[in-house]
Amino acid sequence: MSKKEKKKVNDWQTDVQLDIPEDEIWTYQVPGLAAPHINKPYKYYNFKKAIFVIVIIIAVSLSMYFSVMALQNDTFEYTETENGIEFSKFSNTGYLYELDIDYVSDIEYIAGNNDPKTNFKVVKDTEKPITSVREFTLNCDDKIKTIRIGENVEFVDGKAFYSCWALQNIEVDENNPNYCDVDGVLYNKDKTEILCYPCDHDEYLRQKYGYEKELYKDEVTPEYEKDIQTYVVPSSVKKIAEMCFNYANLRVIYLPEGLETIETLAVFKLHERVDQWGTTPSLTNVYSYVADDVTDTRFTTQKPLGEVYNSLPEGLKFIGSDAFSYNQALEYVYIPESVTYIGHHAFWDTCYKDGGELKGVTVMNVAVSEDEFGKLEVGDDWRPKYDWLLFKKAIDVNYSSEREA
Amino acid sequence: MANEEKTSVIDKAKNLFVDFKEHWNTPAEGNYVPYKEYKDVVIGVGANYAGSKTLEYIGFWSSCFLIMHHYKLPYLTFSVIGLLNMPLGYVSALIWWYVCDNLGFLPKKTEKKVYLVYGLMMGFGISTLLFDYSRLFDQSGAFITMLNSFEGMNATACFKTFGTHFLYTGWVGARNIFWRKKLLPKYGRYKYSLYCDVVPKCIMVILIGWLPVYNIADIATRVWVANLLFATYNVFGFGNVLEECSKRISPNLKERILIRSYPVKLSHIFNSILAIILPAIVGTLRHEWADINFYRFVIPITFCISAAFTMGLAGRIKERIPQPPIEKKVQIKFWDGMLGVLKNKYLLINTIVGLIDSLGNGMLPFATILYFYTFRLSGLPYSLLVALISFAGTPPDLLSPYFLKRFSYKQIMIFYQLSRAIGNVIIAVSMWTLGDNLALCGTICVVVLFFMEMTKTVPTTAGHDMGVRINDYQMYLSGERLESFAGIFGWFTGPIISFVGLIIPIFLLKYGFNSNWEILFFDGSRRNIVVVPIIVDAIGFFLMTIPYLFWDYDNKKQNLVMEVLKRRAEVTEKKAQEEGASISGGYKG
Repeated sequence: MSKKEKKKVNDWQTDVQLDIPEDEIWTYQVPGLAAPHINKPYKYYNFKKAIFVIVIIIAVSLSMYFSVMALQNDTFEYTETENGIEFSKFSNTGYLYELDIDYVSDIEYIAGNNDPKTNFKVVKDTEKPITSVREFTLNCDDKIKTIRIGENVEFVDGKAFYSCWALQNIEVDENNPNYCDVDGVLYNKDKTEILCYPCDHDEYLRQKYGYEKELYKDEVTPEYEKDIQTYVVPSSVKKIAEMCFNYANLRVIYLPEGLETIETLAVFKLHERVDQWGTTPSLTNVYSYVADDVTDTRFTTQKPLGEVYNSLPEGLKFIGSDAFSYNQALEYVYIPESVTYIGHHAFWDTCYKDGGELKGVTVMNVAVSEDEFGKLEVGDDWRPKYDWLLFKKAIDVNYSSEREA
Repeated sequence: MANEEKTSVIDKAKNLFVDFKEHWNTPAEGNYVPYKEYKDVVIGVGANYAGSKTLEYIGFWSSCFLIMHHYKLPYLTFSVIGLLNMPLGYVSALIWWYVCDNLGFLPKKTEKKVYLVYGLMMGFGISTLLFDYSRLFDQSGAFITMLNSFEGMNATACFKTFGTHFLYTGWVGARNIFWRKKLLPKYGRYKYSLYCDVVPKCIMVILIGWLPVYNIADIATRVWVANLLFATYNVFGFGNVLEECSKRISPNLKERILIRSYPVKLSHIFNSILAIILPAIVGTLRHEWADINFYRFVIPITFCISAAFTMGLAGRIKERIPQPPIEKKVQIKFWDGMLGVLKNKYLLINTIVGLIDSLGNGMLPFATILYFYTFRLSGLPYSLLVALISFAGTPPDLLSPYFLKRFSYKQIMIFYQLSRAIGNVIIAVSMWTLGDNLALCGTICVVVLFFMEMTKTVPTTAGHDMGVRINDYQMYLSGERLESFAGIFGWFTGPIISFVGLIIPIFLLKYGFNSNWEILFFDGSRRNIVVVPIIVDAIGFFLMTIPYLFWDYDNKKQNLVMEVLKRRAEVTEKKAQEEGASISGGYKG
């Protein structure tokens, strides 16, 4: 077939004329197509109907069964690994508010009790200690308030308790050789790494310090800010783990001068309530202090912290990607000379325009000169951007600046 | 020579102008649509399309920003809701198809029975909202503990969600009969729904933004209340019905394609403009996409304006399907409808393609992730990038008539599937190997998306046109288009799709993806969450080429089918007139 002939095959204007007698309009069969079947009985009509219904029922039943099996979650899921038993997934029954991570557990329902809040108990198999906790074991749980980590747990992934909105404190068995807690915040045993500041830790602190209710942004008193919304990272800490402080209700964080690493999303999107319905960014200041014997994480006065600077700590080397993102209440950032790596979007969305006025981090203060800074490993868009003529413009960098005491 | 060419171009322009003037109100011989209606298509379809696209910002699905940012519902919860709704969906579909494919005109007794069934459904649905039926069961029994174990749900929420679907089904079903009977003879089978739905739809769009359901603290309660709110919102449609109508605007294949390629394509410019303006407005809001004011003001205002223009033009766009008068149409019995569509070979091929396509079900919208979580785009830069990629499809679409004439549907669709597969593989490789280099990885992805968009529009046009042709063919086979009964294929594939569609969400959950999308800011998680589903999708696209090898429906067959349909309409109307019967809604072509 030539190209021209091929083209004709698809021509819309194929001229067709059919002379169909009036009594054949419902039965006329176009060549190459199936014959019409209108108002005529089907062969094996009942048999076809029966087959149809049976196939559908089987298909739907199988699908429902397998789908339910796939979607149904055990409350506790574990995986056997070379190093022991790994806690891999937790699905809340809806009424569990405390979680022990020590031994393999299961839910046992109490027959005859029809109250879903109390009709179960957690039973533990003390022959099977948990040795590790997998990433995302708890994911977006909104019920668990307290997690207790047992003495046999050797490894807790940094992302194990992701977005646990109601989590107030993490308690670690004092015999655990790998981890400890400092007033409900998870650290490694020698406190060189802070691992997880629970999302709702402020509620725990309110109960501890006798505040009856959460104060909204405009109601916050200096005392409340000090007791509840300020955190002192102990001087032994060298590293803030991934997602450590994310979504916490903190206004001020004091970091020690010996800190070397702030990991990815470590101080991501801190926020406080403005009213019953809404939240707003909360983190206003990140200070560094020089004292080397600080163990108390509660802020009382600046005295025990020694000299305090409005700056990221001297000695800091690594700022991970999105480390400080979405903290629009932050107004001043100073990057010390020791920093060698800044991840992408490290300070993203810390600056915004409000009624034409630039707010948040409006300039990035850097200790080194422009030439020196050019030698650092810096990710894309590490600086925040603001609205500029319908586009976005990165804020300026103030090179060779000096940090404020 | 140059002068001659110039004169020839001027002459052509003059002839075109004269042609427009002459056939402004009456169509040229062999055609069916006057040019005045072309203008109505541009504005009417444009407004309807822009309005329906605006509604894509609101929806009860996991990728809707309103849901993901404000409601924070677990990703797997949508699968649970789908599962709860599945059994009733099968039963209600039976009645729905029967009603729709008889255009709402049922025997009186049957109609009463159907109304009764729908009424009972609504009654049961309302009662589940008022009472907690889960308390009737043993709370420590296997059934209740199973319901409690579903992600984001508990037994109470499961029962209320189940009941909501009853309420929704009954309400929609009863409206369907009532309004079809009332409006369909006057407005035709595609656009009648606009007239009964537009006002309540506008009200619901406003309520969605203003009702603070997303602030309900308990997640299971938030799930069922949100489900109820969105179910009510979904009772009222605002689909792209005028474009559907314009696909049936002429029995002449060439004219149909021309209208699809030019006025309809031109009408999409309204949406393209909106697609630039809306994100630019979002960029001016303090919390950008996360700002609730977007859903309180921007979306309702945009939608209401689009809806007003749509209603102004809807009456002027006509459907012209050769069909007997409604009073003399073929009555479709339930089982005849079921078995009738099963005879349609081309629907079967499309079903197999859809089944393979389900491999990618449950994957996250890659482009959204790229724009928001890789590039952190917002405002005008976002608009421009999206517009640039959308525009990639416009030039090839203007050439659709050429491509459709030059290549067969089979060739076009095989090329389409292969281009998707290759594009996905390139994106997956670049994300896996260059994930940390945002600029390079992002640029490669954008270029690939651009080419994928370029190669998408012609197959889409071909697909739409073939969809209409398949319905024409069904009308030839069964005496009705059986568009609703065609859903029977979904009955067979639905269970499989439903199960296969769980694979990706369960996999995503393992990598930390749940109700908090901000895990996507984490490079390692983003890579796992995006790349593996893309590879699965690419495999699906390769496999989808196979069924198209068996496609043999061409223009010649279509023209012959249309001749048969015209002849049927002509003979039936003539007989009806001879009998002195009243006739309406017929069209001889």
